Amino acid sequence: MSSADTTVEPDAVEAAEVPVVDERREALLASLVEALGDAVVGSHIRPLDDLWVRVDREAWPTAAATLKDMGFTFFDYLSAIDWLPSPYGRDMDAQEDLVVSGAEPKVPGPVEQGYAGGDTRFQVIGRLYSIPDALGVHLKTDLPDDDLRVGSWTPHFRGANWHERECFEMFGVEFTGHPNLVKLYLPADFQGHPLRKDFPLLSRRVRPWPGIVDVEPMPGRDDNEEGDGE
Amino acid sequence: MPKSVSKLLNLSRKYSIWAYQWGLACCAIEMGAAFASPRYDVMRLGVIPFPATPRQADLVVIAGTVTDKLAPAVLRLYEQMPDPKYVISMGSCANCGGPYWDSYSVTKGVDQIIPVDVYVPGCPPRPEALLEGIVLLQERIANEDMSARWKGDPIVVG
Amino acid sequence: MTDLSERDQMAYIAARAADARVNIDLETEGMTLNLGPQHPATHGTLRIVAKLDGEQIISAEPIPGYMHRGYEKLTEVRTYPQITALVNRIDWLGSFANEVPFILAAEKLMDVEAPPRAQHIRTILFELARIANISLFLGDFGLQLGALTMGFYAFRDREHVLNQIESATGGRFHPNFDRIGGLKDDLPKGWIADTKRAMVKLRDLCDETQTLMVGNEIFQARTRGIGVIPADVALSYGLSGANLRGSGVDWDLRRDACPPGLVYDKVDWKVWTHPDGDCFARTWVRLQETREATLIVDQLLDSIPAGPVMAKVPRIIKVPAGEAYVETENPLGAMGYYVVSKGDLVPFRVKIRTPSFNNISIVPWVAKGVYVPDLVAILGSLYFILGDIDR
Repeated sequence: MSSADTTVEPDAVEAAEVPVVDERREALLASLVEALGDAVVGSHIRPLDDLWVRVDREAWPTAAATLKDMGFTFFDYLSAIDWLPSPYGRDMDAQEDLVVSGAEPKVPGPVEQGYAGGDTRFQVIGRLYSIPDALGVHLKTDLPDDDLRVGSWTPHFRGANWHERECFEMFGVEFTGHPNLVKLYLPADFQGHPLRKDFPLLSRRVRPWPGIVDVEPMPGRDDNEEGDGE
Repeated sequence: MPKSVSKLLNLSRKYSIWAYQWGLACCAIEMGAAFASPRYDVMRLGVIPFPATPRQADLVVIAGTVTDKLAPAVLRLYEQMPDPKYVISMGSCANCGGPYWDSYSVTKGVDQIIPVDVYVPGCPPRPEALLEGIVLLQERIANEDMSARWKGDPIVVG
Repeated sequence: MTDLSERDQMAYIAARAADARVNIDLETEGMTLNLGPQHPATHGTLRIVAKLDGEQIISAEPIPGYMHRGYEKLTEVRTYPQITALVNRIDWLGSFANEVPFILAAEKLMDVEAPPRAQHIRTILFELARIANISLFLGDFGLQLGALTMGFYAFRDREHVLNQIESATGGRFHPNFDRIGGLKDDLPKGWIADTKRAMVKLRDLCDETQTLMVGNEIFQARTRGIGVIPADVALSYGLSGANLRGSGVDWDLRRDACPPGLVYDKVDWKVWTHPDGDCFARTWVRLQETREATLIVDQLLDSIPAGPVMAKVPRIIKVPAGEAYVETENPLGAMGYYVVSKGDLVPFRVKIRTPSFNNISIVPWVAKGVYVPDLVAILGSLYFILGDIDR
């Protein structure tokens, strides 16, 4: 891996004529592809900022072990993303919101994933960091809807223990090989997985938020100088 | 109870409150500033914030967000306090759920679990606001009729 | 590396052997002690279930969740300015510090840069939040170990910092001052001179803490050699901040990976580490960091550039689609926000990486074989805020 230099180079990004090439991250991606082979199914680099790599579900623990050998010994976090657009819209139900912000009415769109692509509704995302090189890498993996299971990172990174427990109770993702996969935050009799998009916030169902504009305009003014929700 | 005796009892009670601090979240720091810092000293009102056990406390100040997981513990600690007991709900989280009014795990106000005497609004309320709440509570105690509290249904333990 | 030193292990075995000869019918094993959720020593509602053997802990398991407010779900239904107001309350002692990574992530997605004056003031407020947070730690740690005076001194001197934050932002706590593209308002008149005076008082507090507490024999006996965390275990658990620097790892996000939006590269300052990895090391590092923070604030106050405090951003903020992660060196450790946006008023998903979550997950490992009062010292030195663990 190349030598460590700081990642703060704001001037280089401004020069839009020459596309910026982030050599360190490209080299890291190349060595990952070399180590994991076909398991790397997608990637994305934001130059001088970050690297996203999507791997196969079976290769999820191996990817962690490989990165750990490469010097990424700091465990940052592990969580999941549910890419289903919320069937409840943004829960901003008032008429004024549509007028002020020009928002579209609530029609949930298709499931669209973010960086490094994806094919499924649920994706597990984890981040590892290398302190000597000051480089971080985001790892993502797809989970099929009917089989929300993936290998655990706890043999390689002990900090993943609690993160995986939280992911389990919030999304319903099972981590095979986890020593103690029980609820972490929620009381024992809580039903449902709260961070899934189809879990409603009942207070907002019962009483919708009154809206962004809740300040009367000054007399004589008819536009929305005050109302921007700050 | 003759009025003068009642007045004397109430006077002595209101200036010697022992407050049990049920400090949960950010409001706990403001409560700590009110109770422990030399600037917003609460001991000048006669409130001693030292009991670490509810069994010896008159007043509990619930400062911070009450979650559904914690609610049974709040009820249990309230029941452990001996009568006459008072509750001050401090901060908007304890009053009504506050900024987390739509969360799936927050109890929308501690008055859903225990009866509250004084509500102190704010997020977090300044220590002076908490002191005003305590002064209001003292006025309430001063106007109380002790005998009326003991009339009524007998207290059954167990 | 073993948890107990050789000497301690032999002493324990010898004691058990002696016990077995004398107390054949007394059962000294397997008592379960419940620390919390309401306990003076647990900074909030953390519950620790400890299985004891006499006074030694066989296993200690923290049970978080008594302050779980569901932040990540709430961010999916709030606009960016509303989230800024809400997010203050995660680490409720250094509140401004919680807003900063979130705003920086949103600015990264919007490709907006705050003007230099705003960046400068943002850094000053960030360091003031750090001082407010850690000075309470210094007082509170003394309280937990039985030194009540330190608590009062810390609360008294912290008022100076809170005064300054209040006069600049309007709120002693939860300032809600950061905005995408800059800050809400400019500094009031006379703020710079007042803050310099406050920094002098804070340095006096640091010196007082040094003599009263850190140099105290009893304090050192209670914290030296207790709760040793080696560096590789710390990295594997994801410890950050002073906990990691107290184990000898020289890593500070302000120096090594400073995100654009904060101006640490313009200041001359030092990162403090300590090789021991015990409670004393972590406390010592935090004390030095507080003093260093006052020096940073002094340098920054002398060099605030003139100019506007807010860049040109639209009234109704819609952040373009994308994903961004920004991590900063918050008072408790490394805090980061992973913002997934789909071009809407409201983010799609925000993952909040809080430092105390990882810091406390090490408690089961570090509390094996430790005495109960030492557990209090370890918890205090790991320094967590419940809102940070539970979000």
